[in-house]
Amino acid sequence: MADWQIYLTLGIITAVVIVIAFDLIDMAVATMLGVVIMLLSGILDESDFLKVQGTAGGVIALLFGGMVVARVLETSGVFDTLGVPFLRLTRGSGRRYLLLIVPTVAVICAFLPNAATVVLIAPLIIRAAQALGISYVGPMVLVAIVSNAAGLLTLVGDPATYLVGTAMGMTFPQYIRQVSLGGLLAVLVIVPLLPLLMRDVWNTRRELPPTGPMPRLQRPVFVVLALSVLVVMVLLFLFGQQLPTDIGPPAAAILGATLALLAVQGLRVEPVSETLRAVDWKTLIFLGAIMSLMQALEKTGMIQGMSLRLADWLGSEYTLVALTLLAAVGLMSTVLANIPVVAASIVMTKGYFVAIEAVPEIALSGQFTEWPTAALPVFIAMMFGGTLGGNATLIGASANVVAAGICAQQGEKVSFARFARYGVPITIAQLAVATLYILALVWLF
Amino acid sequence: MGSSLAFASDTVKSIHTRGQLRCGVSEGIPGFSARDAAGRWSGLDVDLCRAVAAAVLGDPARVKFVPLKASARFPALQAGQVDLLVRNTTWTMSREVLLAVEFPAVLFYDGQAFMVPAELSSTPAASLQGPICVEKGTTHERNLARFSAAHGTKVEALVIDSAHGAAAALFAGKCRAYSSDASQLAALRLQAPGGAARYAILPERISKEPLGPVVPNSDPHWGSVVRWVLYTLVEAEERGITRATADRAVPLAIARGSTDARARADWDYSVRELGLRHDWAVQAIRAVGNYGEMFERNLGAGSPLRLERGLNRLWTQGGLMYAPPLN
Repeated sequence: MADWQIYLTLGIITAVVIVIAFDLIDMAVATMLGVVIMLLSGILDESDFLKVQGTAGGVIALLFGGMVVARVLETSGVFDTLGVPFLRLTRGSGRRYLLLIVPTVAVICAFLPNAATVVLIAPLIIRAAQALGISYVGPMVLVAIVSNAAGLLTLVGDPATYLVGTAMGMTFPQYIRQVSLGGLLAVLVIVPLLPLLMRDVWNTRRELPPTGPMPRLQRPVFVVLALSVLVVMVLLFLFGQQLPTDIGPPAAAILGATLALLAVQGLRVEPVSETLRAVDWKTLIFLGAIMSLMQALEKTGMIQGMSLRLADWLGSEYTLVALTLLAAVGLMSTVLANIPVVAASIVMTKGYFVAIEAVPEIALSGQFTEWPTAALPVFIAMMFGGTLGGNATLIGASANVVAAGICAQQGEKVSFARFARYGVPITIAQLAVATLYILALVWLF
Repeated sequence: MGSSLAFASDTVKSIHTRGQLRCGVSEGIPGFSARDAAGRWSGLDVDLCRAVAAAVLGDPARVKFVPLKASARFPALQAGQVDLLVRNTTWTMSREVLLAVEFPAVLFYDGQAFMVPAELSSTPAASLQGPICVEKGTTHERNLARFSAAHGTKVEALVIDSAHGAAAALFAGKCRAYSSDASQLAALRLQAPGGAARYAILPERISKEPLGPVVPNSDPHWGSVVRWVLYTLVEAEERGITRATADRAVPLAIARGSTDARARADWDYSVRELGLRHDWAVQAIRAVGNYGEMFERNLGAGSPLRLERGLNRLWTQGGLMYAPPLN
């Protein structure tokens, strides 16, 4: 890439973020416009779109599948039934409602893909908010933010944690011992902020109507089929990659969507085209376009190339390197998709350790796992930065975009500024807790 | 004569857009890549970079040389900071497989040797005792340990951060010998206080060090470009085509006097597939001369190093330099 193309790439990405932040152009259109300019200036070409298929294709397939299954579950009326006990658990209290969201989402997202979880859980959250007479925007933002932070609880909780964890050669138990506590703290630090950030919801008290009979399911066979599809999909999320034929989460989601559509057509619930019309295509297009912008950023080699500068500037000051990465990767992830940022940061971090001769050059390979103990806080800091930074803004993580898309479909638009009102303070608090956690790890190791 | 980039690899397209080849070289190894007082680079590695730039861009001057420490070379290549790494790098299986790189061909057959004070010049390598300096981050330490174990010698490696540091340690008497690639030892010997004659390079070679250019393996066509530029220089020597007579290399595939239309067509297709200029072979040879000229100028009789060609002679003269057919 020529220097002018590197500057143009950075300029286009900055302009797209600004345009979205100030709500000047629709976010999907703004990112598509950015992609078109990159195409015309030769920054992106056909081969780049093939690479984007590899990175964005999985996320988009996962969301598409989740959206189809969620729509089918909604049509079956199962959310109306499940919504009743969920609402009862809140006892009409906004405080209990918010406090219920945190552990529920955290536990699910520790094992299932974040964005898909947001899609599947959203109908329950929105129905409960409507019953309590409150706006569902704050709670949906909370769902997205908790889902991102909860991704840190386990090695498989988030693509970013999985990428960094495997690059370090971490096993599942090792991850639980060294990282999960930090993830838990990042989730828990949200709780004391809720009364401040979501005061209206927190202070809400509603008299719930007396418990009546559970709503009657209109099509019990369809409900059973729809729930079976959900169970199959969730089981494949959890165990699909251990089958003789590797079925990753995107494939599991497509499989779930196919079975759900088959049930819809087989039982003549509604035309398949109607089910597909309910998919939030704008969100999917936005994610595809923003991943294309990320491909251009990756082509500049700027993030990966920082390894040698980091070695020159900071030498073997690991604590400083860890905190620098936490801040820098966290800041980048606020407006850039965290998976490509983390993937590029792994190359950078490995390059840094090779350049300062802390490890042999073979450490650049994916096979290498003999990292010195002192290197672990550096990797973990990068992981926390990549995962938590995305909580700050609407476009920082796919779960955020999905949550905003669902709110828009329900009739309430979530602007960049509105998301940031919740996201920025929570992210600052989470990164502060992460800093303390990293310092504790440095001290321990 | 221009080039069509319709089929060119991503790297070739990037180089064209940038108008410059970025070549990773050493921070200063005489004979391979070193800068003079005026800042002009020279050496065998540098010449290969210039030949590739000439083949791709038609101008050997359109190269940005990026000096790299040994430990920084692969991170720089992986991060895309250089298009091509030509930095005294030994082709090994683990590097090629694990680092996702490709060594398109061998530029220089080297071997690890020992440099000792001249008074020890008749000492067999297996009889050396005491600390032996080696450069950190290279394969030399492992080779030395293997040699030591095989011969039961009582040597210990004294690992020094850089090649210059290791040589300085030998010159200061901190180690008994300095073990590195023979070519590198010859280059560093020139800097010895009191002159190169005060130090000798023992004749034993304790390792095979095929040094070659390196590219990322994600772009096989780019590896092909580098490979065939280097083989063209070797083929040119075999055919007696020199810098002065480079125009005879149009195209090398039919230069044997054949009027084979098939060979000409295959050559044209290959050139188009690689995204090279139609006159790339002429440009490369005109830029740096044939392989023999490059060797003599940088390492051989025409250079301060005065290295023997040894294994780097053409195959027709008992060496290992052999270019596959260019058709």
